[in-house]
Amino acid sequence: MNQANRVYDDVFELLPSENNPTPLVRIRKLNPSPEFKLYAKLEWYNPFGSVKDRAAWAMIRRLEAEGKAGHGRNIVEPTSGNTGLSLASMASVRGYKLRAVVPGRIPKEKKVLLKIAGADLEVLNDDVCPAPGLGDGSINRAKSHAKASPDEFTMPNQYENEENVRAHMETTGPEIWRQTEGKITHFFAALGTCGTITGAGRFLKSKNPDVKIIAVMPSEGHDVPGLRNISQLHATKLFDSSVVDELLEIDYKLAYSRALDLSRQEGLLAGPSSGLIFEGAREVVSRTTNGLGVMMFCDNIFKYLSTMTRHHPELDVEGFGFFPTV
Amino acid sequence: MSNYSHPEVLVDLAWAKANVGKQKIKFVEVDVDTASYESGHIPGALAFNWRTQLQNQVSRDIISREDFEKLAGGAGIANDDTVVLYGDNNNWFAAYGFWLFKLYGHQKVHLLNGGRVKWLNEPDAPLTKDVPQVTPVKYAVSRVDDKLRALLPEVMHASAQKDRTLVDVRSVDEFTGKIIAPPNLPETAQRAGHIPGAKSIPWSTAVSQDGTFKSADELNKIYMGEKGVDPKKPAIAYCRIGERSSHTWFVLKYLLGIDDVKNYDGSWTEYGNLIGVPIENPSGGSSGTK
Repeated sequence: MNQANRVYDDVFELLPSENNPTPLVRIRKLNPSPEFKLYAKLEWYNPFGSVKDRAAWAMIRRLEAEGKAGHGRNIVEPTSGNTGLSLASMASVRGYKLRAVVPGRIPKEKKVLLKIAGADLEVLNDDVCPAPGLGDGSINRAKSHAKASPDEFTMPNQYENEENVRAHMETTGPEIWRQTEGKITHFFAALGTCGTITGAGRFLKSKNPDVKIIAVMPSEGHDVPGLRNISQLHATKLFDSSVVDELLEIDYKLAYSRALDLSRQEGLLAGPSSGLIFEGAREVVSRTTNGLGVMMFCDNIFKYLSTMTRHHPELDVEGFGFFPTV
Repeated sequence: MSNYSHPEVLVDLAWAKANVGKQKIKFVEVDVDTASYESGHIPGALAFNWRTQLQNQVSRDIISREDFEKLAGGAGIANDDTVVLYGDNNNWFAAYGFWLFKLYGHQKVHLLNGGRVKWLNEPDAPLTKDVPQVTPVKYAVSRVDDKLRALLPEVMHASAQKDRTLVDVRSVDEFTGKIIAPPNLPETAQRAGHIPGAKSIPWSTAVSQDGTFKSADELNKIYMGEKGVDPKKPAIAYCRIGERSSHTWFVLKYLLGIDDVKNYDGSWTEYGNLIGVPIENPSGGSSGTK
């Protein structure tokens, strides 16, 4: 490996670390308070396209070390998004498979992407009656496979796996600390599995307890893939409220319009969760004169064409937005 | 579970774990998503498919008495067996199965409180993909309890005469007519709204986060207190296709102890397609297919 020349022996060497961090890019035109330095951490520079590479790699390595993945045993995870792509790609390279359990109603493009990455797709039949927030759904189907067929499947379970938190304590946190030369004052991340906010938050607080950890969440009834409102947080066991200084609820529609702004004015082709985090950061920056903020931009826009066209019909061409959306 | 009016209709996880595999105790899984069973189930449990086994395949109806006898007997269930039903989505279709077993007079039938999800998330409760070998037996329905089922004329009468509490267990948006059916669902109706006089009490009101039923006190507070259900008055529960309403039927009859409760399995997909019946549609939206 020669990171200086960007020559790598295999794809996994691209994974981020303190010595090989994902980039920080400063927000210029859209920063409401120029004295406050605001940076986006571009997680789509991860080899499989999102922040989820970090947790996925940590979980996979632990399962392999414990002999629970590989050698005939596959992994099963309820995921229709970035974690699925990361796990499927990594498992394929390592010689086994991800079975991705997904709800039937997710956009077709996500199903196709998972298959491209090498996943076996199990699509749930959810055409009877929805059970929002309740019900068994994909998480329980995946648990079912892991429990009934333990010789065949292991479930990483990103919502409960401490490796998810550890990944961010060991990579995201140290990267940011070094990249900002310890000058970071505000860290902005969204709530999903909460691995990022808990792990990076703990690390940054351990370096400087005054760093403000700000969690951004979409308003209730949202459709931002991968994110959770606090009312949905029962699904994860990784949320540590003691590291969070402020919890901001943002109108979820702004996730999409801010993502468009970022594309068109900053040249950052950011996805909707980044748009949401950016709006949260704008709120804080507007009322803070000085500081240095880092926002976790989880992934780019390319996977969200359906949802974007639904929120911004003016973007639609030839009925692309006809894909059903979650 | 002791404060419920008829706690004997429920079994809990501990009872289920202690009785799995016993002769004369038959676990039957009934899921919304019929693939759930194949991914793993309680050892020894059979599955009934609500689409193909619990409904008449030609006309819209529950299975006939003869077909029920064939189904139960074919599954090795004898008249004196104890049947424990459980399923996904908080026992929706397990409750529908329970209703059918009661309708066809089966004596010893129970719901597993919390259903499939409760069992699945219990660390030492085993799950298997093995399908049990069944020896068919003869099953004879001795009596049909028609009183448990509401057909359209009774529903029309209840709405007009207000002699029964009508409980609409669908989502609030379906009740108010904002939508006809939840998005992407195939079975729908021509009109939105609800049956005049019905109370809106969504089915999910009755369950806790872990899928088990709320306590008798909590249920009383919600149904009798907040929603004003009269415990002395007969009731009819309905939803869209008749399964969520079986769940509320179970709550009203066995947990809250209202003696005369019927499940209107025709539900909104019948009522909302009728010509000339009165409908309340407070939102004023969604006439015609959406």
